[in-house]
Amino acid sequence: MLQRSLGLIVLLMLGLVLAAEPGQAGGHTLNILDRDASAFNREVRGLLVWVMGFAALVFVVVTGALVYVTVKFRRTGKETGEPEQMHGNDRLEVAWTVIPTVIVLIIFGLTAQSMFKLDRPTPGAMVVEVRGWQFWWDFHYKDYGVRNSNELILPVGKPVRFEITGGDGTNYDVIHSFRITSMVGARDAIPGVVTHIEVTPEKIGTYYGQCVELCGASHANMRFRVKVVSQEEFDRWIEGARAFQAATPTDPTLVRGQELYKQQCAACHAIKGVSQGAPNNPDLTFFGNRTTVGAGMWPNVPEYLEPWIKNSPGMKPGVKMPAFPNLSDEDVKAIAAYLMSHKVEGLDFSKLEKF
Amino acid sequence: MGFWAAVWDLLTTSDHKKVGMIYLVTSFVAFGLSGLMAVAIRWQLAGPERQFLVGDAYNQVLTLHGATMLFFFIIPAGLSGFGNFILPLMLGERDVALPRINAFAAWLFVFSAALIYTSLFFGGAPDVGWTFYYPFSRTTGLGTDFFMMGVLLVGLSSLLGAANFAATVYNLRAKGMGLWKMPIFVWAIFATSMLSLFALAGITAASLTVLLSRKLGLSLFDPAIGGDPVLFQQFFWFYSHPAVYIMLLPYLGIAAEVASTFARKPVFGYRFMVFALVGIAVVGFLVWAHHMFTVGESLLFQLVFVFFTVLVAVPTGVKIFNLLGTLWGGQLDFKTPLLFVMGFMFNFLLGGITGVMLAVVPFDYQVQDSYFVVAHFHNVLMAGSGFLAFAGLYYWWPKITGRMYPEFWGKVHFWLFLVGYLITFMPQYVLGFLGMPRRYYTYPDGLYLWNELNFASTVGAVILALGGIAWLIAMVQSFRQNVKAPDNPWGGYTLEWATSSPPPSYNFAVQFPTVFKSERPLYDWEKEGLKPTPVDPATIHLPAPTVWPFMTAVGLLITGIGISLAPDMGNASVGGVPGWGGWLAVGLVLFIYSLFQWALRKEYDHPVVHHTVTGKSNAWVGMAWFIVSEIALFGILIAGYLYLRLTGAAVPPEDHRPALWLALLNTFFLVASSFTVHYAHHDLRTNKFSPFKLGMLISILLGVVFFLFQIWEFAIASGHYVEALNAAGQSEAAQKAALWFTAFFLIVGLHGAHVLIGGTGLALAYAQGLAGKINSHEQGTLEGSSMYWHLVDAVWLFIVTIFYIW
Repeated sequence: MLQRSLGLIVLLMLGLVLAAEPGQAGGHTLNILDRDASAFNREVRGLLVWVMGFAALVFVVVTGALVYVTVKFRRTGKETGEPEQMHGNDRLEVAWTVIPTVIVLIIFGLTAQSMFKLDRPTPGAMVVEVRGWQFWWDFHYKDYGVRNSNELILPVGKPVRFEITGGDGTNYDVIHSFRITSMVGARDAIPGVVTHIEVTPEKIGTYYGQCVELCGASHANMRFRVKVVSQEEFDRWIEGARAFQAATPTDPTLVRGQELYKQQCAACHAIKGVSQGAPNNPDLTFFGNRTTVGAGMWPNVPEYLEPWIKNSPGMKPGVKMPAFPNLSDEDVKAIAAYLMSHKVEGLDFSKLEKF
Repeated sequence: MGFWAAVWDLLTTSDHKKVGMIYLVTSFVAFGLSGLMAVAIRWQLAGPERQFLVGDAYNQVLTLHGATMLFFFIIPAGLSGFGNFILPLMLGERDVALPRINAFAAWLFVFSAALIYTSLFFGGAPDVGWTFYYPFSRTTGLGTDFFMMGVLLVGLSSLLGAANFAATVYNLRAKGMGLWKMPIFVWAIFATSMLSLFALAGITAASLTVLLSRKLGLSLFDPAIGGDPVLFQQFFWFYSHPAVYIMLLPYLGIAAEVASTFARKPVFGYRFMVFALVGIAVVGFLVWAHHMFTVGESLLFQLVFVFFTVLVAVPTGVKIFNLLGTLWGGQLDFKTPLLFVMGFMFNFLLGGITGVMLAVVPFDYQVQDSYFVVAHFHNVLMAGSGFLAFAGLYYWWPKITGRMYPEFWGKVHFWLFLVGYLITFMPQYVLGFLGMPRRYYTYPDGLYLWNELNFASTVGAVILALGGIAWLIAMVQSFRQNVKAPDNPWGGYTLEWATSSPPPSYNFAVQFPTVFKSERPLYDWEKEGLKPTPVDPATIHLPAPTVWPFMTAVGLLITGIGISLAPDMGNASVGGVPGWGGWLAVGLVLFIYSLFQWALRKEYDHPVVHHTVTGKSNAWVGMAWFIVSEIALFGILIAGYLYLRLTGAAVPPEDHRPALWLALLNTFFLVASSFTVHYAHHDLRTNKFSPFKLGMLISILLGVVFFLFQIWEFAIASGHYVEALNAAGQSEAAQKAALWFTAFFLIVGLHGAHVLIGGTGLALAYAQGLAGKINSHEQGTLEGSSMYWHLVDAVWLFIVTIFYIW
């Protein structure tokens, strides 16, 4: 029976290896070891090769010994007398103390080397300030004075330095942790503390971002998307965003939407040129460019956007935005249409490949 | 014995075996309960976007699962449960060093579990994760108050239990049994107790500061006044990483005993195994920050912790290799306990390997708080320590219950657990690589392999639940079949097998030979033909039963409820529950009353002369070990203060500093009282009762004067504190002063609480003096409380230096 369960383990290990190279069978394929996404991932892969090599060695030796002991020294009932009363063997014990010590010291050396490498700041990195709030993310492009919530647009091949904190330095939130899953490791968003991590995205596509520190009822619903685009597309977006001014609507639905927005939403949310909002609520200026709603939760289409506006606490537990039961369906549609009308023209981030 | 008589016996007992049973029953029930919660968690995650446990409800179940498994199963089952039942037997003794303290600690343990679960009746369980990170833990509901209070009480219980074990191993061993002849399990319990005494201060500091932050707004961590939330994590993990070894070492002891018995061989490399135990305990102190690689500490800081983290793998590896050596060449009898040990070795190997992987920091960044971590720690805790808890349960079941268990059901239990475990957790390693974070109540459809792997994991959890049923059948069948267990069913080598199953209340009615050649006395004596000589049981005296330790614990439970229900002044969103003052008052009165009744009840009805190995009394040794933990507690908080002070975050206000002259006056009172206690103690030893009583009274009064002055000082300081707090938004100096005042109230206030506790201790001894219940032979209360009083005095000198002079 032990052999059978060992077979099972081997099978699962195999699954683990396969999982490291997942296929592209539809949906989003998250892979923390994606070698094409960043040098960070390649560094981790390089370390894991060593560690897994030693691990395999240790695993084979110990499991082999376990199986051998189980088979060979099983009591048969035919024994005459007691087994040899062996109290130990100093040489052997020194050996199995020293060999693991050497192995872990090698692993320590490799890890240290890698940490120094990853810690070196990249000159000319674009700085993005990341603020974690219950339960959404805010991004500030410090070099450009542009703010965007829950969606991060990055140019491919350009180093970016994330400066991460919980809240905004005046209003404090709980601790979150910022991770772009297939691209770079996590860094905590701690109120009153600024942490940082750097990465150079190398592959164009949509990346999945998550909060990885328990932060409340909707910890699982605190996602974001990263859109890695070509430098040219990024420049168009960032220039458009810097120059953005909300247009005065003429379409009657949009006029109605703006009116309702100013009544119901403007106290908390910001749209450049329309409302200041408050810093602890998502910015809606480029809402029309966003591919998701509810902090990376649902596709940004009316089917999800409208119920979200009307009753977000019903969709996402613990969310700070109140429900608006008094809004009619027409009202909600008008607000949704108004929000979608704000965007940098000529950009579509929804077709990027998913990683 | 009728039912009520049996209950009364349980409430009044101080028999280490019954105390052990209290722990064992509670912790295995806790295992079953939180195992069911785990199944509920897996049920929710069986598929994407399920609605079985959503948001806060999920977080509550998650928190209770973790907290219950850790604080009420895996820590106590091995250490306090088997430790209490088996350790005195292995040492060939009649009881532990401090039997009544031990009974009190056991009830306090039960009640702290009850306290945390009481929150369900007051609006919901804690939902902050068992790690209760600040500031998240400041923002949540009343459940967190119960949780903090429960953690504080279970911490006190652990400390008393650990001090008792340390004193027992130090003072009470069969004549001739040297330290190096103790069974490995005894060493394991001893090392674990040390670890508890040194480390527990971390979680006490963490939970106390969170509780005070919630109740009074006193927080060292609040960024609004320049505090550092990361400091909380340093406190927390200072305990909670060593706690991992508290959760492991007793079980490694069990593994060694089981392997040796069922292989019919001595343990392989006894000294190496002891060195490895102690090595793990020591290095285990230097690895805590590996839980915090993503908080953005400096490279050097991280590297130090990487170094010790990979290093701790070495002694843990040695344990595995030596277990293999023990089995090698033996005649292995694959009964259920040995099967669990084999399962442990395989799973612990996986957990060890993935543990070293997690020390590779860049990889850790990637899998921080992911399912890879979940799989790793279940690998070491559940399939590691947990399996060994069951190895111990089956191994000692005949000794504890006096009955054999059905081997068939034991084996079914093992195989279902092994297979269920692997199917549950191996997919979780893969999920870690595929980016699934832990503590998520839901996940979206359409992420590569997430649905399939999560479903597999849930199937595994169901298999584990079936294993749980097989376990229950094994236990129930054992009682129904009622096969009487012989004294030594497995051919064990240690002294617990040298008495009947179950053992009589006095354990042994024999005098053992005094020759101990190795850690296997029964084996050695048989070879050499040595036999124990019978002793007439009528000449054996045991501690008298008393209900007051139990009542004292009840008092603390009610007090705990009162404090938990009190309004949160630190957080406007949570008001108090009406009637909290009533709970608090009743609890405190009951606590104090019971404590005095306890002190006035003599431990033995017959005069008993104790022989201890060290020559020091049990109370003295017990208190000496307990004091280690107190020093650690002040050490940790003061380290936090020094950090805030040296980084310039906390600066005393120049014009509103608490007055030095008052502190010096108070120093005089306190130092004087230390002298008067010392002389009173001297008088007692020379049987001069009147000067003794006078000396005690003066000491207590000096303590009272100190305390009153401190209240006056605090009243003045709190005004300045509130002023600074209100101005903190505008002025940086006010902000730094507010943080300084916070540290001042926290640490000086904690010292004040110690004056109160120490003064109560003196009052107990004084009451014993007035009632004529203390003399130069029976003076444990005074020995303990006077030593404690000197500690209070010594700490005060530090405090004067760092708060009033610096």
